[in-house]
Amino acid sequence: MIKRLLATTLVSLVIAQPAMADFWSDAAADLKGETIRGVSESTPPSNYVRDVLAPAFTEATGIKVEFETTSWDQMYDKAIKDMEANSGIYDFVYIEQDIIYSYLARDFLVDLSEALANKPELKSADFSFDDFTTFIDNFRNENGDVFGVPMEAFIKVYLYRKDLFENPKEQAAFKEKYGYDLAPAKNFEQYRDIAEFFTRPGDQLWGTTVQAASGHPASFYEFFESIAPTYGVYNWGINLDAGAASVENGGQMNSELAKQALAYWVSLLDFAPPEATASTWDEVASTFAAGRAAQGWVYGENAAWIATNPEKSTVVGKVGVTLPPMNDGVMADAEAGKGYIGYYDGGAFGIPYSSKRKDAALLWLEYIGQPSVQADWALAGSRVVHQATYDDPKVLAQDAKADGYFTLMKEKGYLFKGAPEYPFHAQVREAVAPFIYEAIIGQLSADEALDKAAAAADAELKQLGYSKK
Amino acid sequence: MRNSTTGWLLIAPTLFILFITGLLPFLYVLVVSFFDWNTFAVNPDPHFSGVENFRRLVFDEAFLYSIWLTLKFTFFVVTSQLVIGFGLAKLLSRNVPFKGVFRTIHTLPLMVAPIAVGATWRLLTIPGLGPIPHFLQKWFDVSYILSRFPDQAFITVVLMDIWHWTPLVTLTLLAGLSNLPREPIEQARIDGAREWQIFWDIILPFMKPVLLTTVFIRLMDALRTVDEVWMLTGGGPGAETRFIGLHIWRVVFPKTDYGYGSAMSLLALYMTIVICWLLYVAMTGMKDNKQ
Repeated sequence: MIKRLLATTLVSLVIAQPAMADFWSDAAADLKGETIRGVSESTPPSNYVRDVLAPAFTEATGIKVEFETTSWDQMYDKAIKDMEANSGIYDFVYIEQDIIYSYLARDFLVDLSEALANKPELKSADFSFDDFTTFIDNFRNENGDVFGVPMEAFIKVYLYRKDLFENPKEQAAFKEKYGYDLAPAKNFEQYRDIAEFFTRPGDQLWGTTVQAASGHPASFYEFFESIAPTYGVYNWGINLDAGAASVENGGQMNSELAKQALAYWVSLLDFAPPEATASTWDEVASTFAAGRAAQGWVYGENAAWIATNPEKSTVVGKVGVTLPPMNDGVMADAEAGKGYIGYYDGGAFGIPYSSKRKDAALLWLEYIGQPSVQADWALAGSRVVHQATYDDPKVLAQDAKADGYFTLMKEKGYLFKGAPEYPFHAQVREAVAPFIYEAIIGQLSADEALDKAAAAADAELKQLGYSKK
Repeated sequence: MRNSTTGWLLIAPTLFILFITGLLPFLYVLVVSFFDWNTFAVNPDPHFSGVENFRRLVFDEAFLYSIWLTLKFTFFVVTSQLVIGFGLAKLLSRNVPFKGVFRTIHTLPLMVAPIAVGATWRLLTIPGLGPIPHFLQKWFDVSYILSRFPDQAFITVVLMDIWHWTPLVTLTLLAGLSNLPREPIEQARIDGAREWQIFWDIILPFMKPVLLTTVFIRLMDALRTVDEVWMLTGGGPGAETRFIGLHIWRVVFPKTDYGYGSAMSLLALYMTIVICWLLYVAMTGMKDNKQ
């Protein structure tokens, strides 16, 4: 009887306990029904957030997510204006690696480390900053506090058409014409030869992509973040200590090496499809996916779908991925940490100080930073921000189909670097880019363009107060 | 007195809205134009710089070039739209077959948002995808690449604007032509005047108010064009279609140079007012001389 009574009491106690659902619904109990708004560039990883992660988060927490994916320019416009005006329209914003230094300088963002420490009830056991790759360090301040949860990261790789490069007839013809074996280019001479060899407009095939939009900053980025570094001109050729870009003031932007790099890059337009001068990162990927180029520098966010998605790409199974060509000494610089061989791109989501729903946004950032959501997201957007994602079976399978893109990123990612840590990023870019555009369309020679660009950058740095002279 | 008070009361809401949406922003831009203010400068706060922003403008090659491009663009589009619009209005004022169908089709571009017009023309002209470069290459061996050849970009932008806005000119001029008094024209014909004499000495003077209004509307629109061109060329290639509106946008938004951008905006506004005033004087002066 006593045993029965005890058992009944025990069962009653268990039933009477408040329901312990999962962490997300418990943590969001007081936030249910709130709506958080965010803005990002329309990219494969962002679209995955909008289509998959946001609805899943709403289901788990009852917090609605309105996520706007727009053009790159519009995203910055909207986010910066919102944070400057303190209007609180957005509760989370995309922070590209290259703009974080500007945002930190303006105290636009919530310190996530501090926010989580202050609100332990909102801290998920599944979320840890330690799970992320070293890419998260881009979003830390000098004290090591984190201001953005990485959502995408990739390297800009050298993509080439494996089917063409491994075709015996092509190999023989190439060797006969150039005197050496056809293989992915290791240096710029080889790259040019290959580009020339495969330029066959009659077959709708050209030798290379060039991200040379003649009225869009994408061309500025390809030159200063992919081409110039592989020539040995790093950090846009700006000397931060001197606060100057021109050689006469201590910079490298108009150095002989930089001029050679620009002249070379512009000369590649002879072997690029006609859309090259209208190509941003998106069009470069489309050109390659349409089978219109034999090789090119392509953003990693597009590498996996180009190599594996037959609905969007005509070159599935024909794509090779490797490190870009470079000058002698650049690899040694990169290995020693003095330079880099290309662009390590990516971004994070952060919470603006102006947000009116910081707690809900904090939960959302933790949700997208969980290990469990990373692998499928990597498949959808070729992005990896967690170290463990590289070893996930799904990612390993995708890696095999994408000619080892993820392995390359894992093993050689340290040779790449994001944009330099400049709070004046957009301002100097806007001052310099018009001269790159003019070089692209032949209105200025490479020498003239970079001399003018360096002078404009110096003037801008002086105007902004960064010049030390 | 009572009538006057009632009148002011009736227009008070409109004046209030105009003050909030028109005068207040103008005054704000005016004030900001005297400040050096870039939120990503070492000192991100606005600080008074007197007329320095206006002094910089005088030596800013990129800005001066954008003014030149804008004036060139405005001249070509407004002139072309007037000539084509007048011709079409004359045609539609007669009894021609399928007049109604043509007028409907001709008016359709007016219903499309400028941003959509720009996007559509971009799809038509993008190399490797658009039909225009494809067929120009195939049939005439012409390499048509907007992003590489400045002249092609400029001409295409002009054509796009003509395509989009000529219907507006046609409709306003058609309204003007429909309201012309018949008697003086019939009298002139009886007196043996030639068609061009009737046009020059009767129709044109009667149409002057309509023409003036139409030119002003199109002139002001053309001087501040942004969205269509932004979609089609982004201001490129180089800076060859970077008209004032686009130039100011780049300075104010991506570059966050608010003070300097405000000074540019004011100068653009001043330029628009001066051009309209000169045109008004020229056209009404013509009338006075005639009298």
